[in-house]
Amino acid sequence: MKTVPSSTSDATGRSHVLVHAVSRASGKRMAAPMQLYCWKGDYGLPSVDIDCLTVLAYAKFAGAPLKVHKLTNPWRSPTGILPTLQTRGEGSVSQPSKIIIHLRKQKYNADYDLSAKEGADTLAFVSLLEEKLLPALIYTLWIDSKNYVDVTRRWYAENVPFPLNFVLPNRMHAQRLGRLQLVREDPALEPGEQLEQELYQEALECMTLLSQRLGSQKFFFGDSPSALDAYVFGHLAPLLKIKLPNRKLQQYLSSLENLQFFCTNILALYFPSEIQAAPVHTAPTQADGGDMDHEPHKRWNQVMSVLFAMGAMLGYAILTGIITIKSAHPHLQESRHDDVDEEGEEED
Amino acid sequence: MSLAAEAFVSQIAAAEPWPQNATLYQPLREDQILLSDCASSLAVQAYLRMCGLPVRVCCRANAEYMSPSGKVPFIHVGNQVVSELGPIVQFTKAKGHSLSDGLDDVQRAEMKAYMELVNNMLLTAELYIQWCDDTTASEITRQRYSSPYSWPLNHILAYQKQWEVRRKMNAIGWAGKGLEQVYEDVSQCCQALSQRLGTQPFFFNKQPTELDALVFGHLFTILTTRLTTDELSERIKSCSNLLSFCRRIEQTYFEEDKDSQSAGSQYSRGPSLF
Repeated sequence: MKTVPSSTSDATGRSHVLVHAVSRASGKRMAAPMQLYCWKGDYGLPSVDIDCLTVLAYAKFAGAPLKVHKLTNPWRSPTGILPTLQTRGEGSVSQPSKIIIHLRKQKYNADYDLSAKEGADTLAFVSLLEEKLLPALIYTLWIDSKNYVDVTRRWYAENVPFPLNFVLPNRMHAQRLGRLQLVREDPALEPGEQLEQELYQEALECMTLLSQRLGSQKFFFGDSPSALDAYVFGHLAPLLKIKLPNRKLQQYLSSLENLQFFCTNILALYFPSEIQAAPVHTAPTQADGGDMDHEPHKRWNQVMSVLFAMGAMLGYAILTGIITIKSAHPHLQESRHDDVDEEGEEED
Repeated sequence: MSLAAEAFVSQIAAAEPWPQNATLYQPLREDQILLSDCASSLAVQAYLRMCGLPVRVCCRANAEYMSPSGKVPFIHVGNQVVSELGPIVQFTKAKGHSLSDGLDDVQRAEMKAYMELVNNMLLTAELYIQWCDDTTASEITRQRYSSPYSWPLNHILAYQKQWEVRRKMNAIGWAGKGLEQVYEDVSQCCQALSQRLGTQPFFFNKQPTELDALVFGHLFTILTTRLTTDELSERIKSCSNLLSFCRRIEQTYFEEDKDSQSAGSQYSRGPSLF
């Protein structure tokens, strides 16, 4: 299926980014590098999806040479879901934890220098992230009505190729809502004030705990980044960079400066190209303003379509005789009166 | 519980001291209770004993339905009913009893993180093994779960619960894991706990905290429960400091039950670790 370029100025169907870093396994023959399929990036991020960000960050930390395919169509990946790592002969691996395990097996290990206790802490803090922070993130990006309609659904509808863009955003939304319902064990869960409060409270607690654990260090375990840094970055960076109308969770994050600095530091060090290529997205604060900025031709299109419709109706009316046009010449005033009389008689 | 309700409960809780007739409800010990429920119940009992709060254990067949959140165990204190370890810890904190006051911020962050690890990995693994592994589900779990009920209700309830748990496993991505992978995850979790514990008596050195109670509840139950295979308990036994940790807590907090052991013994579910 051919990918159709979308209307925004810098969206391309695919871009290949070859990541060459110092390979730890220098003796290996680099026959075909491993290929990573992930969601396209935007807002100054290498990818808009949390799992993809985690995997990309870990790959950079570990120095793994990956050929990264940035996609907007999950069906193009080998397993149908993103992120997916296509290995050199062992098939495809798709969840972030499994991908990281595979990279470690291939000797690209960012946790090499960690002590056993730090490895244990990594497991514990990743569990904390998944249980406390992730539900709130999913809620704020996908379930909160304003954010979903104005930002998330719009981004996916614009970037995913036709005709999948009519189907995919709603399906992803339903999937995430269903998952939240199952995890909270409440089949009738609906987005609302109370649920939002509970989720955001837990998320705030989690972010505060992370902030306390990070302290003033550059990374969670000393001077070089590890898997935990990748996970935290993957979860917090979208919150930092994507401008949402309902900003409560983002405000919580902005009160924790060391976490903010942590994310921007990683972006600057490991993903400098994304920052330069970041387009300026105007946050759609008002629906009308947003529309006008996004589609300057909308008003023109509206006017033209109304004129066209009126012209078509008029033409039809004339052709079928509902309306007749009489040519009015000044020197034929008397005969015109006669014509009118005649017509009046004819009509009778 | 919503935040407003929580604040309200805390206020009421703070008003009265801990009564003598506090009761903890769990499913029937001999015939009905499952591994995961027993672990949660033991964790709560251990926590209350560590706080020095007396509680009476009462076994009811419909404990799950009596509970306000649908989960066991739950405690009935005064005129309030609180279920699950997290809310119970907050409840006792409102009454002025807390084990984690002496921790600094970083330690508290670690404690919360490790508690999530246990919930995320150990509890989920227990649920998986009970309900998603066909052998265990058919031989042990379904029969135990529905033992108080007569036909056809026992079949209906058992299959309903199994379907519910399987859907949840699907949602969190555990459905695709095989049994071997689940055992691996349990091993990993135990090693992480073992690393964190090290040679200390408790996770945060001298004083026990709710993390110790939670870990004890789960590990002790797994070690003393007979399943279709011994794989799970073997994995835990491979970490010797966890084994001695469980023994130590059993000796310290559940010692008096050994002396007065009778047919109606309060907690012991089966063989002990002595």
